[in-house]
Amino acid sequence: MKLLNGEILANKKYGENLYKLEVFSPYICRNCLPGQFINIKCAYEGMLDPLLRRPFSIYEIDKKFNVFSVLYMVKGKGTDFMARLVKGGMLDFIGPLGIGFKADEEIKNYLLLGGGIGIAPLSLIAKELMETGKNIFFLAGFKDEAFFLWERDLIKIARNYKIFTENGSFGQKGIPSVYLKENMHLYKNYKLVVCGPKEMLKNIQGILRDFPGIVADALMEERMACGIGVCMGCIIKIKKSPGGFEYKKVCTDGPIFNLMEVIFD
Amino acid sequence: MTDKNTYETDLSVKFGKISLKNPVISCSGTFAGGLQYSRFFDISKLGAVTTKSFSLKKKDGNPSPRIWETASGMLNSIGLQNEGIDFFISTQLEEIRNLGAEIILSIFGESAEEFKKIALKIKPVLKHLKAIELNYSCPNVKAGGMAFCGVPENIRTITSEIKSIIDIPLIAKLSPNFGPVTECAIQAKKGGADAVSVINTVTGTAFDIDTYKPRLANIVGGLSGPAIKPAALLQVYQLAKGKIIPIIGMGGIYSWQDAVEFLIAGAAAVGIGTVNFSQPDAGEKIIAGISEYLISKNINSINDIIGKAL
Repeated sequence: MKLLNGEILANKKYGENLYKLEVFSPYICRNCLPGQFINIKCAYEGMLDPLLRRPFSIYEIDKKFNVFSVLYMVKGKGTDFMARLVKGGMLDFIGPLGIGFKADEEIKNYLLLGGGIGIAPLSLIAKELMETGKNIFFLAGFKDEAFFLWERDLIKIARNYKIFTENGSFGQKGIPSVYLKENMHLYKNYKLVVCGPKEMLKNIQGILRDFPGIVADALMEERMACGIGVCMGCIIKIKKSPGGFEYKKVCTDGPIFNLMEVIFD
Repeated sequence: MTDKNTYETDLSVKFGKISLKNPVISCSGTFAGGLQYSRFFDISKLGAVTTKSFSLKKKDGNPSPRIWETASGMLNSIGLQNEGIDFFISTQLEEIRNLGAEIILSIFGESAEEFKKIALKIKPVLKHLKAIELNYSCPNVKAGGMAFCGVPENIRTITSEIKSIIDIPLIAKLSPNFGPVTECAIQAKKGGADAVSVINTVTGTAFDIDTYKPRLANIVGGLSGPAIKPAALLQVYQLAKGKIIPIIGMGGIYSWQDAVEFLIAGAAAVGIGTVNFSQPDAGEKIIAGISEYLISKNINSINDIIGKAL
C-alpha cells in the first residue's frame, strides 16, 4: 500500500447517481488484486470536510494502459465531491488495501451474486476467474435501470449471467436471492462469491444453510476511518467456536470473509 | 522534504523529565504501534509514538457501528479494543523499537487495582519507554475511563500508586467532559505526573433521521478532529496560564499551523490524532512545517515560541 496521486482520465456518468472514475496508476495496476480497495480523499488540500477518506473497491484494471477504474454511487458528501472531479485533475488515494481475492485451484465453477453497487468488485473478480479458465455464472440485482450501462461492461467478461431489477425496468423483474433459493440445487458444485447490501447477504446465508458444504465468500462493507487496520472502526462479528464471536476488521482482515461465519445483528 | 538531520532550527523540547527531539507526538488510538504508518514515512522522525491504550486483558470493544463522520469531525465508540498488555510486551514493543521510534506506552485500567497490575507487568521493559500515558479519559467504556476525571482525587491516588511501582515519567490524559481540566491537572501533579495530555475526545452523538436510530451502536461517542480544536485550544491555554504542569496539547490538529497554535497557547508538545486517519504522512509534514515556520521567522529554538500567546 502507498499514498498515491493519480491523474484522472475520465469521470463518466454511468446512470442515475452512478459514475465511473478512471485513474492513471501503474502502481495500482501492477499490485492490486481483485477485491482489494483504495481509500480516496474526497476533499481538496486543506479542506476539512468531508474529513475522512472513503473506501472503494476497484472495478476495472487495464494493465496495458495502467488505468484502473472505480464505479461509485453518489450517496453523501464524499461521493458528491467525487462526482465533481474532472479529467486532468489528480486523485489522492491510498492503496491497494485489504486482502485480495484468489481463485481456488480446486474449484472450477463460480457463482457471483451482486446487489447494487456490490457488482463493482465482483466484476473484477469475474474477469480474473475467466482469465484463469473458470466457469462463471453472474447473478445481479438492482432497484431500477441505473446500472443499465453495466451490462455492456459485463458482456465483455461473461456471457452467462442474469440481471434482475425490482421494478422490472431492466433485465427480469425480481430479486436474485429468490432466484437463488429456487435454483440453488443446480449450483451445488459452485463456489459463491457475493457482495451487496447486508440484508441480501443475510438472506443468502439463510438459503445456503440448507446446502451444507457450499463455500461462499462475502465481500463486506463497513464505515472506516483509516483503511489500514488502525482505527478499529470497521469491525464485523465473525463466528468463533464454541458459540462465540470475535471482531474482525473489514479493512485488513477482509474485505473477503466466509459468508457462513459472518454474524448479522 | 526537510530531513531530520538537516533541520536548521532546534526542535527539541524538554518538560518534566521528558526530552523529545521534536514536539510532535502521535495520539493514542490513532497510530496503533506505528507499524502501518512506517509504510508512509519514517516514524522515528516523530517526537514519540503513543501506543493505543493497553488494558490488563484483551478487550473486544464495542459493537458496530463504531464510527460516524460529522462536520469536520469524527465520532468514535471503539471501546478500547486491544490485545492486552502482554501483547505489547511480547510483540509490539519490539516492532516499534525496530522502527527506531521513541515510545510512550498508553495504559488503561478499569480500576486502580488494574492500573497497578499493568504497572507491575511493564516493570521489566521500562528502559525501552520514554513515558507512560495513563488513560483517565476514554468516553467509551463502562468502567473506569473518563469517570476517573469526574472524581479528580482518583487521578492523584492512582498516579501516585503507579509512581510508587514504576520509576518513569507519567502523563495523565484528561477528559474535557467535566468542564475545565484544571482540577484534574492539579491532582495529576500532586500524584507525581510529569505532564498531562489535554484533551481526549468530547462526548457527542448523531442520529439517522430516516430510521430514528443512533449512528453509533453505543449511542455515545467521542468527537475528535478539527471540530473540537477551538475547545481543546482553550483548555490548553487556560491550563497553561495557571503554570500547573506541562501540557501535551491535542484535539483536532490537522496542520503545522494548528500545531503552532497549540504551542503558542502554552503546550510543551502536541499530539496529532484523527489526522493520521485522513493523511497517514501527517506527522512528517507537520514536523517539517513547524521547522520551516521557525526558519521563516528567524527563530532558532522551538522553545522561543512555546507560550508566546500567554
